[in-house]
Amino acid sequence: MRPVVIAGVGMIPFERTEEGGLVEMLATAGLNALVDAGVDDRPVDAVYLGNMASGLFNHQEAVASALVDSLALMPAAAERVENGPASGGSAIKNGFLAVASGFSDIVLVVGGEKMREVIGPKATDIVATMTHPMAEYVYGVTLPAQAGMFARLYMTKYGITRHHLAQVAIKNQNNGLLNPYAHIQMKITEEGILTHPQAHINNPVVADPLYLYDCCPVSDGAAAVLLTTPEIAKALKKPQVIIAGVGQATDTHALQEREDPTDLKAVTLAAKKAFEMAGAQPKDIDVAELHDAFTILEIAESEHAGFFKKGEGAQALDAGVTQIGGKLPINPSGGLKARGHPVGATGVAQIVELVWQLRGTAGKRQVKEAQTGFSLNFGGFGNNVLAFVVRREA
Amino acid sequence: MTGITAYKCNKCGLVMYPKHFRCLKCKGREFEEIEPAGDAKLLTYTVVDQLPWGMDERGRVLGIVEFANGVKATGLVKADDPKLGMKLKAEWGPVRVVGGEPAYGLTLIPKK
Repeated sequence: MRPVVIAGVGMIPFERTEEGGLVEMLATAGLNALVDAGVDDRPVDAVYLGNMASGLFNHQEAVASALVDSLALMPAAAERVENGPASGGSAIKNGFLAVASGFSDIVLVVGGEKMREVIGPKATDIVATMTHPMAEYVYGVTLPAQAGMFARLYMTKYGITRHHLAQVAIKNQNNGLLNPYAHIQMKITEEGILTHPQAHINNPVVADPLYLYDCCPVSDGAAAVLLTTPEIAKALKKPQVIIAGVGQATDTHALQEREDPTDLKAVTLAAKKAFEMAGAQPKDIDVAELHDAFTILEIAESEHAGFFKKGEGAQALDAGVTQIGGKLPINPSGGLKARGHPVGATGVAQIVELVWQLRGTAGKRQVKEAQTGFSLNFGGFGNNVLAFVVRREA
Repeated sequence: MTGITAYKCNKCGLVMYPKHFRCLKCKGREFEEIEPAGDAKLLTYTVVDQLPWGMDERGRVLGIVEFANGVKATGLVKADDPKLGMKLKAEWGPVRVVGGEPAYGLTLIPKK
């Protein structure tokens, strides 16, 4: 396989978009990546779009075709890639394979979702259609409900408390304050969301033991990367940030069928594959973007991906290891918790953040001397997971 | 009567619910249809206050149970004070209204 360079990155701020539709959002992020890469009039061979549910959220299908039209990229090949909340990661994997195999030389990958076109309970319902129709969805099982059932067991097994979950929320919202693209720009305190006698007013139950501030917001957003060969990236005078490792793994659809419901097997396997392909180990990672759709997931994923032993992720968090400036900064972007989680955009936005970090252009949230990054995009409730290792080459 | 049909692999004995076309363990394709039997033990649960569109309620308890014969299933737990490991009795009852009609599923009530 040929090495694949991320030669351009682009995003739009994640927020509740008041003007413009889904395609305009996708095109703006895509254009930002094209401009960043400096491809000018070079032909783009293919476009891969990560999007989960434009039909349900926006009553629009065939969105990848609309996107190439909007960006005047015809006759580029164009497809939408759907893998729930890991649609962005899957789109990047497909773009990577196209360049690595020699099938394409320049590929634009865009991820995006416009979720706020519907009201909150409707968005919850659309996302919940990922659950098993007869074994889960019919009961009102949502993604927060699955996370709540997982959290109860994980917290009980490993002694994790609501204090630890609050620390994830506080850290990531503090990081979000340093990221102009983050949806949530608000400092929170443990007193305000947990320890004050009236904290429950600010922080009501969503799916006990998970509360509002344990959950990511519902956001609109889009992100994009331009993938190409080292030779073309050199001609474009772009830093050689490569996709060094890709891993993907699946697990049972219904949560109840997992032999150990606290074991996120697909996370472990996807991370292992990505590390093996990159010839790297967890200790080589300078910065990580994990899929903290729920605070418990940042802790659990940090353990399952191999950064900490099982049951030690919360202590690492408490000790400041995962802060910007710590030994392994996790989610300097603010993560899904603060940046937001427009489902199809997230996997791409994670890679965009890592490229900014590895280029040294992440501004106030810059992790010092970051050379190697890791991202994890968690589809369904961990039943289809992608992991990436990205590295800055000399 | 729980209303649920689970599947026991004829080759390796793995019990599965919902249905798969191949055994999750040995890839076998022949199954014995079984019903959940015995008490249901509550493996985990959540109390949901933010439900999806069409479900206007608070404090809905959803849980995963394991029956004495190994069937594991998600259901609606009708307990005011759920506890991990508690024994529940399973019934088939209305769990949701879809298009004005009741949808049926597994309901779980504390065993006296």
